[in-house]
Amino acid sequence: MKASAPFTRRSLLATGAGALGAASLGLSPRMVHAQTNVNFQLSWLHSTQFAGSYIAQDRGFWTERGLSVSLQPGGPNAPVEPPVVSGTALMGISAADYTAAAVAEGAPFKIIGVAMQNNPFAIASLTANPVNQPSDLEGKRIGMALANTPVLQALCTINDVDIDAIEIVPTQYSPQPLVAGEVDCLLCWATDLPVAMTVQGVDNTTMLMADHGYAVHSQTYIVTEDSLANRREDIVALMAGEVAGWETYREDTAAATDLTLEMFPDAGLDRETQLLQAERQVPLMFSELTDNNGFGWWTDQTVAANIETLALLGREVSSDLWDRSILEEVHGV
Amino acid sequence: MTTMRRWGGPLIAVAVWEALAHLFAGAFVLAAPSAILLYLVDNAGLMTRALGVTLTNAAAGFVLGNAAAILLAGCAIALPRSEIMIRALALVVFCLPLVATGPVLRVLFGPGTGPQITLAALAVYYTTLIPLLVGLRAVPSDWLDLVRSYGRGRMTALLRVRAMAALPYLVAGLQIAAPAAFLGAMVGEFTGAERGMGVLTIRAMRDMNVEMTWALATLATVVAVAAYLVIGWVGQAILTEEPPVILAAPAATRRKPAMAFAILVLSTAAVLALWWGGLEALNLSSFFAKRPDDLLDALAFAPDAAQTRAALIQATEETLVYLFPGYLAGLAAGAGLAMALVLAPMLANTAMPLAIALRSVPIITTAPLVVLILGRGAVGTVTLIAIMVFFPTLIACLHGLRQAPGRATDVMRSYAASPVAILRHVRIPAMLPAFFAAARINVPASILAVTVVEWLATGNGLGALMALSASLSDYDMLWSAVVLTTLLAVAGYGLVGLVERRVLSTYAPEQLA
Repeated sequence: MKASAPFTRRSLLATGAGALGAASLGLSPRMVHAQTNVNFQLSWLHSTQFAGSYIAQDRGFWTERGLSVSLQPGGPNAPVEPPVVSGTALMGISAADYTAAAVAEGAPFKIIGVAMQNNPFAIASLTANPVNQPSDLEGKRIGMALANTPVLQALCTINDVDIDAIEIVPTQYSPQPLVAGEVDCLLCWATDLPVAMTVQGVDNTTMLMADHGYAVHSQTYIVTEDSLANRREDIVALMAGEVAGWETYREDTAAATDLTLEMFPDAGLDRETQLLQAERQVPLMFSELTDNNGFGWWTDQTVAANIETLALLGREVSSDLWDRSILEEVHGV
Repeated sequence: MTTMRRWGGPLIAVAVWEALAHLFAGAFVLAAPSAILLYLVDNAGLMTRALGVTLTNAAAGFVLGNAAAILLAGCAIALPRSEIMIRALALVVFCLPLVATGPVLRVLFGPGTGPQITLAALAVYYTTLIPLLVGLRAVPSDWLDLVRSYGRGRMTALLRVRAMAALPYLVAGLQIAAPAAFLGAMVGEFTGAERGMGVLTIRAMRDMNVEMTWALATLATVVAVAAYLVIGWVGQAILTEEPPVILAAPAATRRKPAMAFAILVLSTAAVLALWWGGLEALNLSSFFAKRPDDLLDALAFAPDAAQTRAALIQATEETLVYLFPGYLAGLAAGAGLAMALVLAPMLANTAMPLAIALRSVPIITTAPLVVLILGRGAVGTVTLIAIMVFFPTLIACLHGLRQAPGRATDVMRSYAASPVAILRHVRIPAMLPAFFAAARINVPASILAVTVVEWLATGNGLGALMALSASLSDYDMLWSAVVLTTLLAVAGYGLVGLVERRVLSTYAPEQLA
């Protein structure tokens, strides 16, 4: 990563030259001290989905806390859980349903922060044949991964919709089957496939499932119980930098987008797409709740709503899955 | 006229492509050649950097994988007792599905290019090993007698006689390997990479950027075709003469059933020991790296064991329905095209680039197009599997057809035999060992293909089950599916072996030594 973008401030600070120059620039001498190396496993390829983390890295929010963080990209064949379980990564980005499934299989995970208060799952349709509310789904063909059938089932149960009246067509994760007319709607994230259609000039409508009772925390930060007990300081520093990064992100999503494109010139990112995605994830991440309590926060009520929806997905979890102590330390509660 | 003949076919193909792209413009599934060219020019820097990364990893994997194959084949011939074990272990390793190996490799190697290079190497070693084993035995027995009569041993025979006889088969193996290494490196990037053609392909598909998707596919294809041609030229430079004699037949030996059973038990024990020992030695967490005893528990004793078994059986049935027709169609198409090309060599100018392209274009790029044209049902799935199977068969059969002894074809020609008669009486029998080598290689290849199609397009069967299990951290189910897939491949391999034995004992008995 360092070699690819030699001219960003981030990499300058990380190099010896940066350290030598730090004193003359009047920067805090703590930066020059030995840094703890930490891997942070992202859940997908580099994009503005993780722009808050890039800001934390670029602005030195982690180095000033004694961490040298390496951001590991994910991908279609890169589950987050194995590197976190095996300790290759100190922290990973998951979602409450995947974490619950992993815990049921014996992984000792705790959720220590919630980036997406509102779940990003949505039903995307063409504006000419829209799905505006759950009842519109009846009689329609929906394109999705069969793996997500429990998600659709939960939405239907919450909203009294007959799932048997919906034709499920297994499709790859792409807007193409919708645009080509193979299906009437798609189960996807509100922040990716609809954005792609909009940028390509295809008029589309999205119905956010979180607006219809589907309450599952997404883009959650997970660590193991073992590292929570034994590497607490590193985790607090990592989350503190992350929180600072996302609060900066919120102030200027355009700057966050430009930084993302500058840091990852080889990722094939399209600025318009990335900026639209960056804007659309703001209302999923920030709310009155986070305004009052800080980024990543949750309450007993939101956890209770999650436990209810997770039960519909066939996941029995208790509130012990969430551990707020790290966030409380970060936000000074 | 010659220029027309040479370039007419490809030109027509490009024109048809351009027309199809405009026909399907609203479906966002196919980009026109002109649009692709424009994209490549506009984004030359990005594309060059991505190509550099993926090509480097593919080349490293190509060298490592083929070196391993040559070494293993040498061992198998020098120590004939080890061959069956080497074949068994090589098959099992080749069958491991990407969905399972990707995450394990990523944890093992950490950040960097380790998984990309490893997956490229894994994608090539088997398709080189199998033709090589055939080639090392395609030696007239009186040559080996000659070596022995000079008092030389097996090593001399291996280096002086067998290695020379195996060269055409090695060239065939390397030609099949070139596109496979590139695909392996691209798929390796799915395990979490910063840059490369695989990363850009995922991005392009998500962004519904058809020009970018097809620009990447075109680039991958051009590279694969270039590698194929270079290896072919090098091969032709080395292999100047046609095989001089009809291969003489040593006595065919048959293995006794008790012996075959002992070998099976021994190989199974070796696989289990390597599996368990390997995971223990690497100290991999049993959360995602399941041991044999974990699976025994999950399938036999756990409270939900019956459900697990039922899910596996249902998925296997769904897979087999598509697997058989796809496999047979691919074999038939490959062998058929190879024969057509021998009868009408001028077809090769159009057919060969198309054939290599079909194999080299990443299946995730072509799958939506095939699905759009043929539907998500049986025809689309079977076609996609056949595409994956057909290329190794074509290449192996082409090389096999050229193995026809020169004197025999000369004799036929001097009697004014028609090309069809020469094909039937000389070339097809000469092709059979190579055809069966391809049929064997294609058993695991077709299983990999069907699971990829199920994962990406149809959403059922073992492929979808494996992807679902990985996302839900149900690693007991995932590893059970991996074991099942491997057993399927071994069974299929054995079946091909039975057929092969019957056919070759008539037409090419030296292979049965």
